Amino acid sequence: MNQPAEPKRILVVEDEDNIAVALDYLMTREGYSQQRIATGAGAVELIRETRPDLVLLDVMLPEVSGYEICQNVRLDPALNDVKILMMTARGSAMERRKGLAMGADGFISKPFELKALRAEVRRILAGEPADDSPDTSRAPGEARHA
Amino acid sequence: MLDRLGLRLRILLFFALLAGGAVLAVAAGLAVAGRHGGLPPEAVQGALVAGFAILGLVVWVWFLFDHNVARAIDTLAAAIRARAHAGIERDLAAEAKAARYLGDLAPAAEAVTRSLIETRSALAESVARETTRLAAEKSRLETLLADVPVAVLLCSAEHQLAFYNGQAVDILGGGTAPGLDRNLLDYLREGPIRHAYDRLAGAGDPDAASDLLCATVTGARLLAGRMRVLRRREEGVAPGYVLTLRDVTADIAAHTSRDALLSEVFDRVRRPAANLQTVIGVLSELEGAEDAPDLSAAMRAEIEALTLAITELGARYDAIQSDWRPLVNTRSGDLLDGLKGRFQADGLGLETESLDLILQVDGFEIVAFWAWLAGKIAAEGLARAFRIVIEEEDGPGAVMRLCWQGEPLSVGRLDGWLPGAMGRDTGELTARAVLQTHGTEAWPEAGEGCNAVVMPIRSVRRAGRRPPPLSRKVVYDFDLLSKARNAAVADTRLEDLTLVVFDTETTGLSPSSDAVVQIAAVRLVNGKRVESEVFDTLVDPGRPIPPSSTDVHGITDSMVVGAPDIAEAGRRFHKFAEGAVLVAHNAPFDMEFLRRQEGAIGKVFDHPILDTVLLSAVVYGQLEQHSLDALTARLGITIPEEARHTAIGDTIATADAFLKLVPMLKARGLETFGQVVAEVRKHGRLLKDLNG
Repeated sequence: MNQPAEPKRILVVEDEDNIAVALDYLMTREGYSQQRIATGAGAVELIRETRPDLVLLDVMLPEVSGYEICQNVRLDPALNDVKILMMTARGSAMERRKGLAMGADGFISKPFELKALRAEVRRILAGEPADDSPDTSRAPGEARHA
Repeated sequence: MLDRLGLRLRILLFFALLAGGAVLAVAAGLAVAGRHGGLPPEAVQGALVAGFAILGLVVWVWFLFDHNVARAIDTLAAAIRARAHAGIERDLAAEAKAARYLGDLAPAAEAVTRSLIETRSALAESVARETTRLAAEKSRLETLLADVPVAVLLCSAEHQLAFYNGQAVDILGGGTAPGLDRNLLDYLREGPIRHAYDRLAGAGDPDAASDLLCATVTGARLLAGRMRVLRRREEGVAPGYVLTLRDVTADIAAHTSRDALLSEVFDRVRRPAANLQTVIGVLSELEGAEDAPDLSAAMRAEIEALTLAITELGARYDAIQSDWRPLVNTRSGDLLDGLKGRFQADGLGLETESLDLILQVDGFEIVAFWAWLAGKIAAEGLARAFRIVIEEEDGPGAVMRLCWQGEPLSVGRLDGWLPGAMGRDTGELTARAVLQTHGTEAWPEAGEGCNAVVMPIRSVRRAGRRPPPLSRKVVYDFDLLSKARNAAVADTRLEDLTLVVFDTETTGLSPSSDAVVQIAAVRLVNGKRVESEVFDTLVDPGRPIPPSSTDVHGITDSMVVGAPDIAEAGRRFHKFAEGAVLVAHNAPFDMEFLRRQEGAIGKVFDHPILDTVLLSAVVYGQLEQHSLDALTARLGITIPEEARHTAIGDTIATADAFLKLVPMLKARGLETFGQVVAEVRKHGRLLKDLNG
């Protein structure tokens, strides 16, 4: 595995402690440096301050929703380099579309395979487009101009 | 002045005048005779006697005249008037006896009144018969509607109730029971009703119906219904409508609670399972395989299976979530028209753009949603002019997009609005509930030069040509219920026969080498053509159709591609004609084509047969022309040019001709099928009769 000179920095926005702890271990093991914030409020400010390479963003957060955080990050041109991977425990196709429409780079439904999460994080950090696996395609399809 | 006096008084005056004149004449004669001297007393006595005799005579004649003429005429006149105006039915015998010296007057009056009475009682009888029949039909209809397990309501355009059944009382009751001429909107929330009515009345298609979902005013019941606007009867009067309603409160409550339960199951199981999955996964990776590799593998396999189960079940639940909700095929044009109306009413501008699509949505809810959202955006000061675009997507869906020029809307704000009630028209209904019903989401998006809120619609298809309106009339003929069935066709009266009139088009004129390319048929029941019972099919002849035949019937080789072959079409036609008498114009021609194929069809065409050529010969004599054109021309039936030589056009013409021939045959005393066939046999020289 090609380890970059400086480890990539990942911000986990997740209100559930148990999964946050697990993600902490996982990301650290993968060689990323990670930080966590447990509420939606203040997340955008923290992102602006720390400029992480990737935000692992839960949709269902107290106070401010993941959608809103995502939209606000995308509205700030200075944060263009920040990648966002959204996570939700209610992964309906419509929510996925909403997340991607808000500017997320990826969308992963809980529960997920560690393998899938790892691959998705790696893909996004490498700046590759979404592949065709069901977890990343834009089902059921983008608007087609008729 | 004299003509104002009564008849008897006038006659009395005549006779008084006559008596007075005669007495004066006698007195004058006496005076002239006695001018030159005294009269002998005998002369005076004689004159007196003559005078009295004249008086007596006049009085006697007057009396006879008064009794036998004046009073008789008066009595007769009064009796006739009584019969004319008062509906007295006793005959004029007593009056006629009194008027026996008036020549033919009394018998004539008697005849007139008798015929009046007869006409009147015949009329009364037929009115009574008709009334009984109507009452019987009405009560049958009432029974029918009373037993229908849905509420049936008939309303005027102003939503005043004109008819309702018992179920309607149950469904609408609660507060005041429904009553005639009460307003339906006192019982039901008006939004969905008005929306459906405006859409249907605007469409002007009497066969169109609209499904709708509405709530009672109290919100206690949720009703699923179907509205059909009645045919416009009078110019300038908006047509009323029929509304059928079914109480789906319990259904929807059950579905909703089951839905909520399922949703909660997934929600509560998914989170811990997801967390467990991650924790266990990380844990087992951290520990490596040193301690207990098999245990670690077992744990991971189990949690993987659980994860998979939840993911798959969740996806399936997601897919069917909105399936049971009564969404309706709605035309994009109708939806956009509804939106334009609402936006205009709210003082907001709206442009629309869409292909002609059929969306599976609750039109009323969708219109309410966008109107509510635009109102919110306008109140926010973002825009007052909007554009709604419906775009197809790959797959079965489409997106609806509400666009405006102006500041964008934040997703947090939009999500914050969604749980609120949308307004007065929609009661408790929230925007979130609308999204849930349609299994969708809504979010803001920035497009080129404009901002938008996007809502995917899950099921959309291109609108084809509107399918030909299915005749959905209730087909009924109550006379069938009271018809005594005759066992033998021969004894059945013509108008009681069930007939199937048919016609075929062929590749040519020779039954041995040509084949059928089209069969059409209609049914005649109870002396009427049943409009909705039509058989019409192309048939693949299994050989090229010569251009000369195509010139006649317009059927080409490409038209019959994929059509059933004669075996299949023949079977279906046999089924259609089951138990009926077949009627055709020049039946031997068509029957020969069918009977040659009986082997392939697997059925025998042993129906009794009538031929309109032969019936025409019976009615008009053999010397007339009996072609279908000549016959229909004689009977005043026009075949539209485009229908001539199509199987169905000729069939309908033949059927109409047959129906006009029936009364002519009856006028010749030919009432039953047997009598007609016997008469037809006499014309056997013209054509072969096919009934054995």
